[in-house]
Amino acid sequence: MTELLLSNACVIDPLNRVNGDVMDIAIRDGWIVESVGNGAEVIDAKGFLTLAGGIDSHTHLCGTKVNFGRYMMPEDMRAGRTIRRGLMHATSGYSVPTTYGNSYRYSAMGYTSILEGAMAPLEARHTHEEFSATPLQDTMANTLFDGNWSVMEAVREKDVKRAAAIVAWTLAAVKGFAIKLTNPGGTEAWGWGKNVTCIRDTVPHFDVTPAEIIETLIRANELLRLPHSVHLHCNNLGAPGNYQCTLGTFDLVPDLNKERQSLYATHVQFHAYGGTSWKDINSKAEPVAYAVNRKPQIVIDMGQMMFGKTTTMTADGPMEFNLYRLHHNKWSNHDVELETGSGIIPVYYSKKSLVNCVMWAIGLELALLVKDPWQCLLATDNPNGAPFVRYPEIIGLLMSRRYRDEELRTIHPGTEKRIVLHTLDRELTWYDIAVMTRAGQAKALGITKIGKGHLGIGGEADIAVYPIRIGETDPSRDYAAVVSAFQRTAWTIKRGRVVTRDGEVVVEGTNRTIWARSRVPEAYDISKDDRFVKTFDRYYTVRMANYPVQDAYIPRSTCIESEAVL
Amino acid sequence: MRVILTAKPRRKPFIPVEAESIIPRHFLQGRDLFIWEGNKKRSLRELFDVMVERTAAAAEEVEVILRGDVSRFKRVGEYMDAGKITIEGDIGMHCGNFMSGGTIEILGNANGWLGREMRGGGILCHGNAGHYAGSGYRGEKFGMKGGTLEILGNAGDFAAEYLTGGDVIIHGNAGDLPGVEMAEGNLLIHGDCSRPCGNMTGGTCTVLGTVHGMLPTFRMTGTVLWEPKKIRLTAFEGDIANRGKGTLQVREFHYDG
Repeated sequence: MTELLLSNACVIDPLNRVNGDVMDIAIRDGWIVESVGNGAEVIDAKGFLTLAGGIDSHTHLCGTKVNFGRYMMPEDMRAGRTIRRGLMHATSGYSVPTTYGNSYRYSAMGYTSILEGAMAPLEARHTHEEFSATPLQDTMANTLFDGNWSVMEAVREKDVKRAAAIVAWTLAAVKGFAIKLTNPGGTEAWGWGKNVTCIRDTVPHFDVTPAEIIETLIRANELLRLPHSVHLHCNNLGAPGNYQCTLGTFDLVPDLNKERQSLYATHVQFHAYGGTSWKDINSKAEPVAYAVNRKPQIVIDMGQMMFGKTTTMTADGPMEFNLYRLHHNKWSNHDVELETGSGIIPVYYSKKSLVNCVMWAIGLELALLVKDPWQCLLATDNPNGAPFVRYPEIIGLLMSRRYRDEELRTIHPGTEKRIVLHTLDRELTWYDIAVMTRAGQAKALGITKIGKGHLGIGGEADIAVYPIRIGETDPSRDYAAVVSAFQRTAWTIKRGRVVTRDGEVVVEGTNRTIWARSRVPEAYDISKDDRFVKTFDRYYTVRMANYPVQDAYIPRSTCIESEAVL
Repeated sequence: MRVILTAKPRRKPFIPVEAESIIPRHFLQGRDLFIWEGNKKRSLRELFDVMVERTAAAAEEVEVILRGDVSRFKRVGEYMDAGKITIEGDIGMHCGNFMSGGTIEILGNANGWLGREMRGGGILCHGNAGHYAGSGYRGEKFGMKGGTLEILGNAGDFAAEYLTGGDVIIHGNAGDLPGVEMAEGNLLIHGDCSRPCGNMTGGTCTVLGTVHGMLPTFRMTGTVLWEPKKIRLTAFEGDIANRGKGTLQVREFHYDG
């Protein structure tokens, strides 16, 4: 039994409606409890801001795609080099760092759980192997179903239950956490050298539309009672005028779940562009944010873009090809058999580029225009919008109008005519930021029940103590202090153990993988379905028996089980 | 000021040494320098006998002489901006990385990546150079941007890859794919080479020997007279596969390997 008392902590815990109370947090064996004995180790938090451990609900951190980014971008490894020190491994890289680099940097920022944004089921082993080398964060993996042949056949036959059965089997087989749709239908169309421009186009050969795929899987997801909702990367990412497609997609979403959203729309910044070409691109954050305000069944994340160098990687193969035609730099393209594909290119977001400046403004506008912070979470689609180490700057920008004004003065002078950011006075509060970086994520992912995202009794003791006193800091004026506090915690506590102190890693770390299993009735066991097995045997390069990820790949895991209603 | 560094015999001579601290400017203040031998941090005096003659007021007046076996010493002269380094034997990889001024003279052979991403100054190598002489590092889009790299012997493969400025002169033969992706600057090869200048977009490459495996994506534009030796060369423009506007002029060429 190990006990720890975090005393004198200034706690903001939105899930328990605590806002800035100074209190003691008692921890026993990794969980938050009423009280601990006198023998407990005591950490004096000195009145510092104390939040639940950060949760990133959409990041590309582990897996084949990220690793191919590392292959492709050896020059990225010139940045961010640290030598081995104490228990810390050597690290390198900026936008696609080594796994330990990712883990240490997230931990120094107080993050204790992350969700890998896109895992191709066939390549799940690689993702899980990298998870095991990301020791300081609990990990989850969104599993791609956007171009799954069997799912699309079920969609064409309007058989929601069959789609649900395929999802249930696949998630359990690859130890995935949730359904991810990346440009649904588009990546499959890309296999024929085509794309879909919006939700009403037809996917070649399968004769289904993205709208049908999205709707069917939202319903299937709720039948399976999965913890998270469908996690959607809308069609037509990054194209001027695509906001209409985004609004159309939002209109499809039924409100099916009382406890959380029915759709998580990710990196919406990339989906809120007006105009008809790169020449007249403008911000349509307003209509998109208003749509979100009207629809409690939708949660979005910002997908904020920050200026500088980065690598873009997504399962949206055709979009990456379009980007390649703009940049003429390196490009990789990848097809994953019956499932999905991906593409990667490096980019440099410049303040001299009008398009980039508009993109930068849109992300911030979304966060400021969505009224309820529970509905707009903070993320950059790491590393697509910017590497996650830029989160503290985003927090600073959201909390300080002055900081935004200063930045606005440094960007392309033509930007103001195309955006509304300069007219927005709203400054987010500490409470809002706590929602947007942990409580909101935990609720949206459906992991509050396993103790994530809050600091109440029974919560998991994942805690971040930031070296800043909220009573003595005016974030509006003193944004630099806010940014630097969020860059490095005084202590990051993971399951009751201090893992980083002042940014230095002090333990080896043992993370867990969280995955979801929905138990379906015998009749819906798709692995015994003749047609499914035949498709599998005929088209996959692997045998069905070799497809599921063995338990050895997830040495420590938490399975969130649910009972499907089919 | 002359600094003579004589390498001491090492118990395990194959362990590479990262010697980026050996540049003339660092010897001005007379402070202790450190280098890494494998994963051990060593002071300069542990690996060298150091002899200093006279004093200097500026880095321009400093000459560093390396004696003994330094063939496993990497990154000598990295980021050097003034002064002179003379290496009396062979030198390891990455000699003269990013150098912007001063000169490096190598009396023996140089290993790979000689003068990679050089910005200015000069390197003279009396022996042969390894692969990737005067090129950009892995993934980098810009190689050497300025200065002069002269190799009196042969060069390995990928010499002057991503050349974006400056002059590279190879008196012997070059290996496979010299001047690949070059965009600016001059590459002069006195000997033979194979498949030069793939994907070039600009700059000039001159081969006074024979080109083997000449790439088919270069458009022949006529002949030119190479003034220094009054030799007639066949001129090409390319790489047209990359809409390039570079000039490749060669004395003899064969399309087969």
